[in-house]
Parts: sequence; C-alpha cells; structure tokens
Amino acid sequence: MLKKFAMIVSASAILSAGSAWAEPQELIIYQKWSSPAEVAALNVLKDGAEERGIEWIDITIPHDTGSNVNLLNLVTGGQPPNIFSENNPAVYRDLTQMGLGRPLTKEFEEAGVTANLPPSVVKSITVDGEIMKFPLGIHIDGMVFYNKAVAEKAGVDPASWTSLDDMFSEFDKIREAGYVPLAVGAQAWQIGYLTHALVATVGGADYFTRIYGPKPDPAALDEAPLRETFDWLRKFQQAADDGSVNRDWNMTTNFVISEKALMQIHGDWMKGEWRVAGKEAGKDFGCIQIPGAKALSVTVDAWGLLGNQPADVDAKEVEFALMTVSPDINSAFAAKKGSTPVRTDVDQSSLDPCSREVQTILKDPARQVQNPHSMVDADWQASIWEVAFNFWSDDTMTTDEAIEELKENYDIILN
Amino acid sequence: MTDPLAVRPAIRVSAGAQEKPVIFPRRKPRINGRSIAILVFLAMAAAFYCIPLYVLVVTSFKTMEQIRQGAIFALPTEWTWEPWNFAWNEACSGITCEGLKIGFWNSVKILIPSLVASISLSAVTGYALALWNVKWAGTFLFVLFMAAFVPFQIIMFPLIQLTVHLGIYGSLWAVAFIHTVMTMPIVTLIFRNYYKDIPDELIKAAMIDSGSFWRIFGEIILPMSANILIVVLIMQITHIWNDYLIGVTFGGPGGQPMTVNLANLVTVSTGTVSYNANMAAALLTAIPPLVIYFVLGKFFVQGISAGAIKG
Repeated sequence: MLKKFAMIVSASAILSAGSAWAEPQELIIYQKWSSPAEVAALNVLKDGAEERGIEWIDITIPHDTGSNVNLLNLVTGGQPPNIFSENNPAVYRDLTQMGLGRPLTKEFEEAGVTANLPPSVVKSITVDGEIMKFPLGIHIDGMVFYNKAVAEKAGVDPASWTSLDDMFSEFDKIREAGYVPLAVGAQAWQIGYLTHALVATVGGADYFTRIYGPKPDPAALDEAPLRETFDWLRKFQQAADDGSVNRDWNMTTNFVISEKALMQIHGDWMKGEWRVAGKEAGKDFGCIQIPGAKALSVTVDAWGLLGNQPADVDAKEVEFALMTVSPDINSAFAAKKGSTPVRTDVDQSSLDPCSREVQTILKDPARQVQNPHSMVDADWQASIWEVAFNFWSDDTMTTDEAIEELKENYDIILN
Repeated sequence: MTDPLAVRPAIRVSAGAQEKPVIFPRRKPRINGRSIAILVFLAMAAAFYCIPLYVLVVTSFKTMEQIRQGAIFALPTEWTWEPWNFAWNEACSGITCEGLKIGFWNSVKILIPSLVASISLSAVTGYALALWNVKWAGTFLFVLFMAAFVPFQIIMFPLIQLTVHLGIYGSLWAVAFIHTVMTMPIVTLIFRNYYKDIPDELIKAAMIDSGSFWRIFGEIILPMSANILIVVLIMQITHIWNDYLIGVTFGGPGGQPMTVNLANLVTVSTGTVSYNANMAAALLTAIPPLVIYFVLGKFFVQGISAGAIKG
C-alpha cells in the first residue's frame, strides 16, 4: 500500500516536473474586481502575463480595505495566492511575520521604477521602510466632476473658481436656474471621504498628516482647519437635495449626468459612470480639483506578492509586478480602468483631460497626501467617519460638539 | 347548530364508505374590528415584502438609460431580457466572464452531496437515539443540543485546519463536508424528536420479527418519514443554497458557489454598477429555493403539523 502510494507520488512529481517545461508558470491571483471597466483593465494585465509565460489562475472574492479575512484564510489553509490585491499595511506586517513577505525595494530600484513614481505613491506602497506592494493606478479621493451643459445653462464656470468660497457664492444662482448645486450621496463612507478630502483642501499636507497620519496629534484637533472642514460639511449638507440620504455614489453621479444637479465631489472613479453613460471628459463633463485645494488625497490601487516561494515561481511573480508598472502596460491599464497611471513618464497624449489634470497636480510633491486607509489606525479612521456622519445627519449638532467628540474618541483609541 | 346553513361537511374519514359525513358548526364570517385589524396587518406585512420585490423585478427588465433617470417605481418603458441574459451568460466574476451559470452548477455540486450526507447521517443517528438503547444517549443529546448553538464563525479557523489535514481544503468536497457537519446537530434533533413519537409497540413487534437495526430502519422507519424528510429537505436546500460564508471560506479557486459569484457582481467599490443586471442576478440566485418551496410547500406544512403515526 505504502509502496504503491510512494510510487504514485514520485510518478506525479516526475509528471509535474516534466510539464513545467512545456506549460506556462501558474500564478494564483486573488483580487476583487468584477465590474466591466475593471475586468477590461485586468485583461490588459492578463495578456501581458501570458506573453511572459504566466498563466493567470483567478480567485475573485469581494473585499474592501480593512481586515482581509479571506486572504488570511487562504494562507492558513495552505493555499495562499501568489499575488493579491491588498492595501492594508497590517496584512503585509502579518505576512512578513509568517515569513511570507516579499519586498520589492531592490527590484524597483534596479528597474528604475521608484524614481518615476510620485512621492505619495511611494509612501503608499511602503510598509516599515520596504516597498511591499506594486501600484496599479491612482485615484484622487476628492475631485469635482461637473456637467458642462448644466454649467452653461446656469451661467457659471466651475473652472474659474479658486476657492471654496467662490464656489459657494454661486450656489444661489445655480439653484435659481433650477439645479441642485452640489449632489452628495450621504452614506457614512462617502461623507468620510468628503471629510478627509476637505481636511486636505483647507489644511494642506502637513496638517492632514497630523490628523490622518500614522501618529495623529491631539493638538491638531483644536486648530482652525478642522473647524473649517466641519463648517463646510454643514453648508454642503444644507444645500443637499432630499434624495441624498443613503444614495450610492453611482446614483449620485447619474443625478448629475441626467442634468438634475451641477456637480459632485467624490473620488475620481466617478469617471467610470460618465463613460458608460457615453459621455466624454472635457466635452460633456469637466473635472477640477476641489477649488483652492492645498493638497489632494491620493488612493493607490496596490497589490502584493507572496514570499518564500521556489525560485522559478518567485522570478515569475517579480516579472509580473515589474510588468504592471512598465509604462506601456500601466497606461493601457489606467485607460481601461479610468484611473491615472502611476508612472509620471507615460505618454501624456494617451491620457484623457481628467487624468492629465491629475498628473499635473501630482508633479508637486508638497500637494499630495495618502488615502487614510493606507496610513492610519483603522479605529481612529472609523471614529472620524462616525463623527462626521453623525454631524452630517443631525443638523442640530454644532462644530464644537463634533470636535469635542473627536477628542473623546482620541483619548479612548489612541491614548 | 341553530342555523342549518352555517354548517359544512368535514373531510370524509374514509373514501368510498357509506358513512354519514361528520358535520360540525362553523361561525358565520363577519366583518368586525378584529378582522379589519388582521387584514390591515396582513396587507402591511405583504406590502413590506412585495414592494421591494416589485422594484427588484421591474428594475431587472429596464435599460440602464431608464434607471439613470431615477424613478425606481416606474414600469420599464422598454422591456428587455438583456440584463437576465447578461447576468446568466456574460457577467464577470473576476477575469472569467461566463455569467452566473458557473456558480449555479457549483452550487448544485455542493448541494447534492451535502444533502445526501447530512440527511442520511442525521436520520440514522436520530433513529438510533430515539428508538434504541444507546449508552450515554442523554449526554450525547445534550452535547448535540449545545453544538446546535455554536456559531460557525468562532470555529472557522480550526475547521480550516481540519479540512487541510483531511486534504480537501479548497474544493467542493470541503464545502459539502462542512455543511454536513455544521447542520448535523439540529437535523439530528429534528429526526430524533420525530421518531420519538413512534409507538413503542411498533418497534417491539419489529424487533421480534427481525431485530435488525438496518432492516427496521429501511422497511419501517423510512417509509414513515416522508413528511419529516420533506421538512428537512426544504430547510437544508434553503440553508445550503443561500450560504455565502462557508462557500467563500472553503471553496478555494474554482469551488465557489453562486452566492460568491453574485457578491462579486454586486459588490462594487469604485467600479460602475449595472443595477438591472444585479437585480436579475439576485432573482436568478433566489429562484431555486423558491421553486423547491412552491413545489413542496404543501408537504412542508403537513410535515410540521403531523406526528409520526399520522404520516
């Protein structure tokens, strides 16, 4: 019995060793994208991988930033994926502790990748001093997308606004023309995103880091920018339409597309909805940064590699990572996904006006901060979302009360 | 019995016999405060389920252009099967764009072994516990009872290790195995309570005739179990079909049930949403348990209300 078993094992070992010559290297890729634009972008990577002799074995499970239970289940189950979509630095720390981390610092340096990435991207993909993730695309968490037809009919030019006050002073005029000035989807995460985009806008990079950095500073909670942020939230809330309560961002975007509202402040993935509705950037809709923004919050879609693999698998993993950040593949990927390429040296003419705007903004390292998800303590982030959303939903709550609550939360969570 | 019109014949006890039908009085239906209250309550309860269902159904037949206009209660201006076709044949779950049908067949492949294993094991265990003298039966029942209350989530990691050691982690078999194990306590208790009501004399007579554990089970107990089997069948089909967590945890690549496909389709963070295809996909996923319920629903009610000897 045992002998027979041993024979089968050795036979299959020989077989698999033999087939490794003929067949491409399989890599298990664990990711979370299924919507049409995302799949089109994934196929850019898949085609690139096939050219390099890599077979893409897909596991798709929806997961958001935060604790990624399914990934860790696969790891503890002994079937870890070779490549996985994950932004949360804590997961990489866990993997490194298990001996399964795979830093890319050296390979990125040698291939000249690091030098061509905006500084905020490099910070986002770095965990404890090593580059642990490879970046696929950039999104800006707070951009203003407006309907050009509505702007014309209301007689306003969003591109000329240089401050939030400029923007707000035209709200009455827009309302008189019969449009909702600013469409908002009042869900906790959307208000949370709006809040951190506003903190970056009015506070700038240094202040932002004192609230949303790895080590928040309690003194910052008492300073003017945060108060100003809450005051703006209240003004936007007062100006919002009745349908805003718990509206998905997609529906909110469609509210703007169907000419019921002038604009929406949200992540620039809004572009996807405009594109599937058959609209063109620069012609049907305009995209600007939040007027007067001192800094912009940058979301980086990033994936990681599994370490402690046989040399041939490891080589293919690294080849895959380097492929995704090569200028051609990266800009093709971004064009399909609707994001902005991570490389600053891609061909500018291939980009749409929105991505060109983003790339121009990102040339200035002082004006970019990282999405809190990739930097900050998850509990602290959750508590800011909660306070901001309560503040939005309860219009009797004052800015002072909101700040007071944040301070209490700080004491509980971080002190 | 004052009003002869207010009576109705009851069910004939035995067909063909010339017995007089048994009759009993029935109160005249009257509209009063109580019946109005009940009607209002029932109408509200029905609306609570029907209005979302209505939105689900009409949205699945709309074009995306119409959905963008808002007005979720409006009927489709142009009825289209396209979202249904898309959801079944073309929707992407990650990089494979072959629709929900892949997950559907995975779900079927999970469902059948899970059903066979959990019901047969539980029926035999319930039968042994109810009708045979088993040592430690009381303790065993108590443990089963407690196990029925252990949430899956807290033993998930140990179970992953267990399936890894069994060599089935990441396959349909692991999913079926876990379903069987997790539902066994409650299903065994159901069978045991059902068999407990079988009269002692019947079993004693059977013991004298054959005395074989399996023969008594196969020739006497099983034929009497139709009702309870249907109850358990409906319960298990609904439970296993609708499960997400076990499927997603133990399925691994290629072993993911339809619910995981559905979640991939519907859960979108920064991508675009096709509400019509999502609604169609949700309905497609919900159809199999619904069909089972409509087909077997009559037996279900009978099964719950009937005792063993009435079956």
